[in-house]
This record gives sequence, C-alpha cells and structure tokens, in this order.
Amino acid sequence: MRKTTLMVALAALVAASPALAQEITVWDFKSGDPSLAAYFDKVKNDFEVGHKGVTVKYVMQPHDQYYTLLGTALSSNAGPDVFLMNGGALAKSRVPSLLKLDDKAGGLIKTLTGLDEFKGPDGGVYGLPITLQGHVVYYNKKLYKDAGLDPEKPPVTWAELQKVCEAFKAKGKVPCFIMGNKEGYGAEFFLSSIAATSLTAQEQTDFASGKLKWSSPQMKAILQAWVDTGKAGWYEKGANSTAKFMDEYEGFMRGDGANTIGLLSDVAHWKQFGDMLGAENVGAFRHPSPTIAADKTAGEPKIPIAGGIGYGVNKNSKNVDLAVALVEEFAAADPIKVFVASAGVVPANTAVDLSGISSPSLKSIQGWLTTSVAPTAHANSSSEELEEWHRQSQKLLNGETTVDAAAAALDVVQAKVKPQK
Amino acid sequence: MTTPDSSTGASRLRTASKSRRAEMRFAYLFLLPALLLVVVFRIFPLLWGFAISFTDATGVAPSHFIGIANYVQAVSDPNFRDSIVNTLFLLATLPIWVALPMVLAILIDQGVPGGKLFRAVYFFPAVLSSVIIGSIFNVVLRYDGSFNAFLGAIGIDAVDWLGSSTTALLSLLAVQFWSTFGMGVLIFLAGLSTVPKDMVEAARLDGAKMWQIWLHVIIPSLRPIIEFSAVVTTIGVLTSMFGLIYVLTAGGPGTSTTLPEFLIWLEQGKLNQPAYAAAISMMLFVIMAGLAWLQIRIMSRNTNL
Repeated sequence: MRKTTLMVALAALVAASPALAQEITVWDFKSGDPSLAAYFDKVKNDFEVGHKGVTVKYVMQPHDQYYTLLGTALSSNAGPDVFLMNGGALAKSRVPSLLKLDDKAGGLIKTLTGLDEFKGPDGGVYGLPITLQGHVVYYNKKLYKDAGLDPEKPPVTWAELQKVCEAFKAKGKVPCFIMGNKEGYGAEFFLSSIAATSLTAQEQTDFASGKLKWSSPQMKAILQAWVDTGKAGWYEKGANSTAKFMDEYEGFMRGDGANTIGLLSDVAHWKQFGDMLGAENVGAFRHPSPTIAADKTAGEPKIPIAGGIGYGVNKNSKNVDLAVALVEEFAAADPIKVFVASAGVVPANTAVDLSGISSPSLKSIQGWLTTSVAPTAHANSSSEELEEWHRQSQKLLNGETTVDAAAAALDVVQAKVKPQK
Repeated sequence: MTTPDSSTGASRLRTASKSRRAEMRFAYLFLLPALLLVVVFRIFPLLWGFAISFTDATGVAPSHFIGIANYVQAVSDPNFRDSIVNTLFLLATLPIWVALPMVLAILIDQGVPGGKLFRAVYFFPAVLSSVIIGSIFNVVLRYDGSFNAFLGAIGIDAVDWLGSSTTALLSLLAVQFWSTFGMGVLIFLAGLSTVPKDMVEAARLDGAKMWQIWLHVIIPSLRPIIEFSAVVTTIGVLTSMFGLIYVLTAGGPGTSTTLPEFLIWLEQGKLNQPAYAAAISMMLFVIMAGLAWLQIRIMSRNTNL
C-alpha cells in the first residue's frame, strides 16, 4: 500500500513538474564572455533565489547575426522572453515586439540614464539600459610627455588638437591618432565624435530622420574634417587596412599611437587601457570639432552618448511578469556594480556606487556625463547609410573621391532608406 | 499448353524478376538518405531562395510579392555593378590560374629534382582554411607587416597592399592563387598519368623538341583536365573567396574587393535584406552556370576539331 502511494505521489510529481518549473529564456550576445561571467551568474542566482521554481536560461547568439536571428524568432512568435539590444536604431526598430515598461518598472526607471535610446515613438520606455555607450578620446600620457606636451592639459579646442598633432608629427615617433578603418568603424566613431559638437540638437534629430542631408553644409564639414585630418598626417599609414577591433586598440596599448577614439563600455575602454598602460598613464578628452553648433560653446566639446546595451521584454512572452522582474534584476545596482568592476563599463544606473574605482579616465567621463553629452549620430543612422559611409570614408582617406561625390552617394542611400515627404 | 520445363523457366524468370525488384528496392533504400539530403539541403533552399527573391521579405515583417523589383534594384545598385566588374577582372586572370599549375605539374611529371617535395609543398596550403590563410597574410601584407619590412630592407618603399584600391584586389588574387594552385597541380598530375608515354616517346624519337612535345602531345592530351580545371577555378573564384575577403579587406577599400558572394552576405547578414540577397544569389547562380556551360562548349568544340 505504502509502495503504491509512493508511486502515485511520484507520478503526480513528475506530471506536475513542467507546470511548476518555469523557464525564462534570455537571448543575448554577451553571456558567453568569460569576463562577464560574474555579472551573469549573479543575476541568474539572485533571481532564481528570489523566484522559487524559476530557471533563467541564457542563449548567446553570434553578434553579427544576432538581429537577423532575433527578428526571425520574434516574427514567428518563437522569440525569447527577454532579449538584449543595442540602444538607438537597433532597439527602436524592435519596439513593435517589446513590452512598454513605464508602469511595470517605473521605480527603477527613475534611477537610469540613457533611456532615450530605448524609447518608442510614443515616448514610452521599451528597454532598460544597463550600460552607457559613447566615445571619448583616450590618450597616452607618457607619449604626451615625450612630445613635450602637458599630459594633464588635453586639448579642448580644434586649434589645440591641431597643435597636439603637429607636436607628434614633429617628433616623428608615433602617429597622433592610431586609426583602424578597415571595416569603416574608425570613420563611424569620428563622425559621431565630431557631430556631437558640430550639430545642434535639432540637427541631430533631423539627421536621424533623414531631413538633414549628408550633402548639407553641416555634414559636409564633418566629411571635410575627415579628409583634412588624413591629409595632415594625423593617422598612421595603412589606416584602411588596420582593423579597429582590435588592431587599432592593441596598437594603442602597445604605445604605437598617442590618441585613439575609444568606447565607454564593453571593449576599448578606460579599464582595458588602464589595465595595460597603467590607469595613471591613460587620460581621456572630449573630441573637439572644427565647427561649433549654434547651441554649443567653443572649448566645451560634447561626447556622443547612447544607451549602450539594455534588456527588453518580448510582449508575447508567456511569463511577462517574471520577464519584467528579470529585466529589473539585470539593470539593478548590485549586479551592475559587479559588471563595472569586472568588465569596465560605464553604468546606466546612477545608483551604482563607483567610489572604489580610481581610474582618472572614468572620473573625467563621469563628470562629463552630467554636463557634456549629445546623441551618437551613427547610432541614429541606418545600417545602409553606415555601410555606405564605411566605403566612402575609405575612398576619402585614399584620395579616391571628393567630399561632394561622397556626400552625393550617401544622399542616395539616405533618401532610399529615409524617404522624405 | 504448358510443359513442365517451360513452367519451371517461367517460374525461374518470375523469381529472378522478383529478386531484381527486391534488389532495386534495396538500392532505392540505400539511395534515399543521400537523395533526402540533396533535396532538403540543396534543392529546397535553392527553390526557397528563388521564391523569396520575388518578395520584400526581411524576416521581421510579413512579406509581399514584388515581382522582379529586387532584380531591377541589383542592376541599378552600384555596389553590385562594382562586384561584377571585380569578378570579371578576376576571371580575366583565369588563363594564369590554369596555365601555371599545368606547367608546374608537367615539370614535376618530367622528373625535375625535388619533384616530390615540391608536390607536397604546393599542396600544403590547400589543407588550410581560408580564415587561417587570411590571418597569416593579414600579418604579412599589412602596412607594418613582414612583406613591407622585407621591401624596406632592399630599399623599396612600403605599399598599403590591403588598404589601397589599386593593390587590394591584386593582393587578394595572389593569396587565393597561392592557397589553391597546389590543388590544380595535383589535378594536372593525375591527368598527366593518363597521357600515353609511348606517344611522348615516339615524338621524341621522331626528333621533336621538348616544347614541341609539350605543345603538340602533352597539352592536347590534357584538354579534358584543362576544361575541368577552368570550370572548377571559375566556380572557386566566384564562390570561395568570402573567407579571405572577410579577414583581409572586408570588401574595401570602397568596393574594390567586394565580390558578389561578399555582397550577398552583407545584404543578408548585416543589412537584413534576405530577399535582395536571394536575388543576387540567383543572378550569381545563373552567371556561374552560364560561364561553366560556355567553357565546356568551347573546350568540347576545340576537342572535336
């Protein structure tokens, strides 16, 4: 009898287990990175402890095919409960598949910055950023000293930056900027760095919508600056055959170049450079621009900032409430603190305590985040425009096309993907 | 009337026929897995690609039939046009791709000193993946790479082999040739083993010079191999350079090293335009089939002469 009862109980348990156990599937392009394991483990453990019977399952996809795979999965209703996104155009184009989070995660949203990159056309928040992304120029203080420059006074105007580059050219030891433009990313980062200061807020919006043409005087000034800096010998020879990830940055860490346009989070950031060159030997400055927008001030360059990466909830998820709770866990201060310490990101959560981190570069960046930010122009461009900019930037650097011809080719692509009424 | 003998014969025939049918059934059964693989992984994707090339599918929103719009777009797309021009440039070098391995194979076959060593050395790159070869030559050909260091040592200025539009495609071509010509040598060596030795000997006894033997005896005997090599090389140039392009130049600078297969990946993998990518794939398929057919026709005609 006892045996029968035990068998029945066991059978009932087995039958009921699928209903009791719940699995939340998370798609991303990060969770397999060993340097981020501590963060992902903490989120999973904390969440599973706080939600008995729930399992978090990470599914990492290859980054270069991530959005294609995600799009296919979402369109066939086979998508994950939660997914990671890059802020800006990539997140905004997924808004139709995302759950609006304003009401469900309102408390946490108040502590986050970089939300604009995850907002839909209705102004609602459709993803919670975990990091901030953007670009500053990192510089090697030892090389500045070698060239007779004051390493504690980085350039803040275009004229000062020109003088810095002339000093490195005169010294003839290393190029002023180490530049990797094999895939066109060097030109992409340059575009956003200059546009942050040379375009007004309205012009940034117009550029994102396609109203501001590549052939406009404002955009052509950026293309011209790219050509001029190349002609002035700011970059090493062979920039078009140097990969930005990671040949350029490895070169910077070897001391093969004085400056590099780097990132705030993920890779090529203050922590990575500091670990290699010594945090005290790495400085950061905001890329000056040859032209200053009407709503900006000379000597006060802006840094292009976007909402890094963030998590959203699939609105067709069968476990919406759990998925929202998990997204909040991803963006919460405690796990993000682990993320910052292990991977060197700039967090979107303002409640994260960074007092234990001594990097001078991070301190500079933190200061600018409250006073000197602007949209990231390339993050608001279409993929088609960026691909064309990659191609045209290489031809401009090689002197194989003119600014007018490049702008005209970019206009054609822009008009196709962002038709104006 | 049926005699016992004829009845036995008919019975034997029936048994034999039954046995043949059973064998055939077994044969079909053995063929089935291979046929299934071909249908599922070759025929079906081809038909599927053909079908979506007439739609505006993006993989995100529902797709609609748009007729030949993707094909019209390809014709007016400067990137596609550039990729075709680059392909034509590569195909123009086809005689070198065929002739050099053939000459080397003949030399090895004639018993040049160290022939076996050369055969192994030539073939070695063929066992490396294109990504590994690309990574090796990335180090060799980059501006601060070992090849420029060598040129510098002998007083020649450095060249941006992979970053200049004038040299990038040639550099890719050289690397692709380096990595595949060993296979060509092996194919020609196999072909040379079928050339009748008595014909060569007879020509020699008749007083033919070495170059005359090559031109009038060996090379005509190798016509089927030349034809095969030309077709395989053409297909290789059109469809197997993606790995090298991806690692060495990323299609640039500009579009100077963009070939149709790289453009297909760009449109599908980076720009999320599977329908347009499918249309380019179909065009590439037609071009390849046409070129292969043309080559075989020309070679067959020459053989008949």
